Amino acid sequence: MFMTRGRLAALALAVVAAPSPAQNGPDGLAVGRQMLAEDNPGELWVERGQRLFFEKRGPKHASLERCDLGLGAGRVEGVFAQLPRYFADTDKVQDLESRLMTCMVTLQGFTTDEIVRKRFGTLDNDSDMEALVSFIGSKSNGMKMNVPLRHPKEAQAYKAGEYLFHRRSGPLDFSCATCHADEGKRIRLQDLPNMTDPAQVQAVVATGWPAYRGTQATVRTMQHRLYDCNWQMRLPDLGYASAMSIALTSYLNHRGNGGVVQLPGVRR
Amino acid sequence: MAEPMRIRATLQGDVADVRILMRHPMETGQRKDAKGDIVPTHFIQNVLVTHNGRTVLDAQWSQAVSRDPFLGLRVKGAKAGDRIAVTWTDNKGDKRTDEATVAAAS
Amino acid sequence: MKRFQLKLAVAAAALAAVLGCASFPSADETRALGEQMVADAYPGMPAALTARAVQDADQKICSKLGGEKLTSIEAGRIVDAARATMKYPPGGKLAGDWKAGERLVSDGAGLRVREGRVEPVKQNGALCINCHALDPREVNSGNLGPALVGYGAQRGNSDAVVKYTYEKIYNAWAYYPCSNMPRLGAHGFLTPEQIADVVAYLVAPQSPVNRK
Repeated sequence: MFMTRGRLAALALAVVAAPSPAQNGPDGLAVGRQMLAEDNPGELWVERGQRLFFEKRGPKHASLERCDLGLGAGRVEGVFAQLPRYFADTDKVQDLESRLMTCMVTLQGFTTDEIVRKRFGTLDNDSDMEALVSFIGSKSNGMKMNVPLRHPKEAQAYKAGEYLFHRRSGPLDFSCATCHADEGKRIRLQDLPNMTDPAQVQAVVATGWPAYRGTQATVRTMQHRLYDCNWQMRLPDLGYASAMSIALTSYLNHRGNGGVVQLPGVRR
Repeated sequence: MAEPMRIRATLQGDVADVRILMRHPMETGQRKDAKGDIVPTHFIQNVLVTHNGRTVLDAQWSQAVSRDPFLGLRVKGAKAGDRIAVTWTDNKGDKRTDEATVAAAS
Repeated sequence: MKRFQLKLAVAAAALAAVLGCASFPSADETRALGEQMVADAYPGMPAALTARAVQDADQKICSKLGGEKLTSIEAGRIVDAARATMKYPPGGKLAGDWKAGERLVSDGAGLRVREGRVEPVKQNGALCINCHALDPREVNSGNLGPALVGYGAQRGNSDAVVKYTYEKIYNAWAYYPCSNMPRLGAHGFLTPEQIADVVAYLVAPQSPVNRK
């Protein structure tokens, strides 16, 4: 009784990690993805995130139950589908991660430095943020993305995001649009979503991030996705929850309105 | 501190389709940490699955099983409401037991 | 100055909201907002690295929003600027060692930054197969750029082909203004000698690119 489907799970990851070019017959990649989606390890992050949300933590020994993520204190249902948005108390447009950071600092007494240092989990240290985002993201499942553009600062973030998406810079002259504005493109074998196609923006925004990444054995968030793109573009480390990262997310998420949320996702 | 498992058990005819996600580092003893030190082996050695208290699977695992393992099995002769319990024990003696109830086919 | 522009933009947008007009900022306000965001996006990073995010005049022109086209004046300007950057290897040999080129084309590393430090590499890779199919036996190639399988077999390896190929890699914008292809030589990402080796890999009859 040695061979179990624990091995199969590892096999499924291997299938996803080594995609094959388009071929006739059953798509091995799709089979692997389906297997992972049915039993997404990201669900373990959802459960841990739920526990962390209600646990009294930090120097102020408080839970996040008084955190206003946009729909009132403590409400997590549906908030992901309506972020980023403007918050009067900070006078800023905030995405889920920057808003959680605000709450962790003001309600729980964590320091910004500490949160930023632990923003991305490693094999040696889990990130609380990745777990919280998984939990809160999953609480919009089945709902349609509906990111507001009412406040002038929301309109500014959207337009700045559009500008930044197309802004070329760095030693390789890249912008986001270099890789994400054409149909059917790949870097090596990695498919690139075309963000000019409404259906693809909806899919990325509503089902893309947070996602469990098989190659990294943890859940990654939208902030990490942007950080990693920045790294590939040979730009310096993108500031966590920087106004630029939030503006890009505002631009994309608003254009993803109508997409039905299903999170966490699962990716290579 | 071991994290809870996620267990789903769904009836298909008289067979329960049991799917278990475990949170475990499953260190092979070959990875180095950020400081360059070898991370010692740390892996689940034994997995025991019971159906209403009767053992239906007793597996010996090695470091070859992936991080955050997924285990799927099918238990014959199950009924809705039956209890499925899963216990893993790792090489450091850490242990975790979680339970689920077999759900009727949806 | 930038701060001031930003405040103006914010004030203008707030005013627009009060008046009930469309609250989208103008193109100039948007640019000021966006540039301020870039300036604030890399806290704690050394100046040498944040300088990478500052646009040069040509990158600025090449950052059109979706659907906007280059004017012919802009295109001419980009081409002239690109021609002015051209440098060639000492000795003038524009096609080097195709085997050295073969190692470069599949190397995608160089100049990446992690935790405020440039990741060390022996030499920068030429990044080619990230976007182009080259060796027909290599499946792991991208398609952001055109497939170049049989490049030399189709075009030959005359001086004119070699010179064009060298210059295209050194600064793609000399031939295709605002091409998605990075200006690899002009930025110093690749040396003239490395580019000559990649040229050889593309045109040499013995190269896998041109094998039947």
